[in-house]
Amino acid sequence: MTELFTNLMLGFGVAFTPVNLMLCLIGALVGTLVGVLPGIGTIATVAMLLPITFGLPPVGALIMLAGIYYGAQYGGSTTSILVNIPGEATSVVTTLDGFQMAKQGRAGPALAIAAIGSFVAGCVATVLIALLGAPLSAVALAFGAPEYFSLMVLGLIFAVVLAKGSLLKAIAMIVFGLLLSMVGTDIETGASRMTFEIPELSDGLGFATVAMGVFGFAEIIRNLDAGAEMDRDLVQQKIAGLMPTRKDMIASAPAIARGTILGSILGILPGGGAVIASFAAYTFEKKIAKDPSRFGRGAIEGVAAPESANNAAAQTSFIPLLTLGIPPNAVMALMVGAMTIHGIVPGPQVMQKQPELVWGMIASMWIGNLVLLVINLPLVGIWVRLLRVPYRLMFPSIVIFCAIGIYSIGNAPADVIMAGGFGLLGYWLVKHDFEPAPLLLGMVLGPLMEENLRRAMLISRGDATVFLTRPLSAALLAVAAILLLLAVLPSLRRKRDEVFVESES
Amino acid sequence: MSDAPDRAPNSNILPGWIRGPQDFFGGLALVVIATFALWASRDLQGIHGFTFGAGTAPRLFAGLLLILGVAIAVAGVVSDGSRMSGFSWRGPLFVSLSLVSFAVTIRPLGLIISAFLSFMIAALGTPETRWLETTVVGLVLTAGCSLLFPYALGLPFELLPQLLRQ
Repeated sequence: MTELFTNLMLGFGVAFTPVNLMLCLIGALVGTLVGVLPGIGTIATVAMLLPITFGLPPVGALIMLAGIYYGAQYGGSTTSILVNIPGEATSVVTTLDGFQMAKQGRAGPALAIAAIGSFVAGCVATVLIALLGAPLSAVALAFGAPEYFSLMVLGLIFAVVLAKGSLLKAIAMIVFGLLLSMVGTDIETGASRMTFEIPELSDGLGFATVAMGVFGFAEIIRNLDAGAEMDRDLVQQKIAGLMPTRKDMIASAPAIARGTILGSILGILPGGGAVIASFAAYTFEKKIAKDPSRFGRGAIEGVAAPESANNAAAQTSFIPLLTLGIPPNAVMALMVGAMTIHGIVPGPQVMQKQPELVWGMIASMWIGNLVLLVINLPLVGIWVRLLRVPYRLMFPSIVIFCAIGIYSIGNAPADVIMAGGFGLLGYWLVKHDFEPAPLLLGMVLGPLMEENLRRAMLISRGDATVFLTRPLSAALLAVAAILLLLAVLPSLRRKRDEVFVESES
Repeated sequence: MSDAPDRAPNSNILPGWIRGPQDFFGGLALVVIATFALWASRDLQGIHGFTFGAGTAPRLFAGLLLILGVAIAVAGVVSDGSRMSGFSWRGPLFVSLSLVSFAVTIRPLGLIISAFLSFMIAALGTPETRWLETTVVGLVLTAGCSLLFPYALGLPFELLPQLLRQ
């Protein structure tokens, strides 16, 4: 317990320096600013803003990125409530009641409850990360190569099972990502693989390049399909009275508590349950409500619960990243990308070798949540005005901003073209109903998986059964197999679809 | 969203036995990619004693992708699925052209000209562009980026064309 306290103190000591505080603030602000722009999800926001953090020292860069992430997520909730366009999947359910509230002139309380709920959830999740961080990383240090490999398999299976849509296609995307990660020079033998003698490919496909293409450019192109003038049902009423009433507070307090608990648990699972957390929290509230018919017509619990849940999950999903070095979702994959660029290999060692980095980031998460609560509500007017920027002006601006960003990473014009190519690929994937997020996850985990697979085979002298004979590894693989089996069972499959269908009803 | 498959008759070009064209062609494309990767990694060394060669993992992943691609394509034949959704050409074309133009001109022409030029090309991506308004926004954005990236973020950017530089 004292250790927890000293760790948090260390973290706050790092995070409370003026520079880092400023970075956290700027990150949260810029994140919200971009996240509010319609049609740009959280992943795209983080990918787009990645280059502006490269010039900073590692701690500062990660603090700023974390700020951007929360800001983007909060921006997504704002658009859900005000324009009925969810910034990303995690805030889809928020639109159901949030937009209805806004239509009834109660956008203020809806936004306030979303912020308050997120803040409460953020506080709890921060403590949880601090509590679980050290013991989990101790466990991870005891892992050998076979265990690590099996853990990654489990993480990927979780990611597939907890996501929406076809299992088969999601697995195919992961494997595609793994395959893409193989391009470049093999670290162990130095052989160049699938580079076709193109010098730009010898270092492998840039992670930021692929992310920006598949999420940034693909999203822009896809939005253009619908016609630049997207259907934007902006609430025209003036936002009067931000503060929720006493009655609102009483109604939403338990919903926030339940959402936080559900979100924290689902977020820790490798597979990053932020999406399913918000859906599950909403479904749960509706199930236990005395009068379920209020939901979908502006029930404040319908905003409070999913918003708390997704924020709690967003934060606890840092746990697998910081302790095991395994990114549970695409945003965390981007964080890995950022860390790697700064020369940090995420994993249990980071917690011991660079405690100021890890704890500084954890502390800044809490500060980031506070900042969002304080700055966002007064700034709602500005966010609303941003929502009115027509897409025909916004999209070329984003294209140029991204192009400059990609170029600045390595001063390489070829990267810009490659990102464009991945943009087209991403557009094609979306058109064929393939999710790009697992692809990114596969790409980040590819080199790690290969390394551990190689090492495991070497240790076992070429015996592939090593994954099944080592008890821990076998247990992890068994859980993965059971999960996969459960997910394809018709009855559970229906349940899983049911949770997601909520948004379409 | 494959939750509500479109059961409407497919366009006449596709044979009737493809019941889920979206999955069928999606799977086929993965098969092509996987085959290409297998071909591209054919010369790499495979397993050698107990140790993995450079080519083992790429071939392993490519093989897996091949199997998954076939499975998805088969699923597109045996079960009803979504129809192909239409691709538009205008957005993808001009966004790509804009990026190519940026990549080609950034070195010789510098950030100011390159960014503005690419902005105008990207704006062609939609028929709704109003040129006066777009030009003004393009100029403002270019000015903003010219201050943000080299000065505020301290990244090494050349602003002016090579000819004008000393």
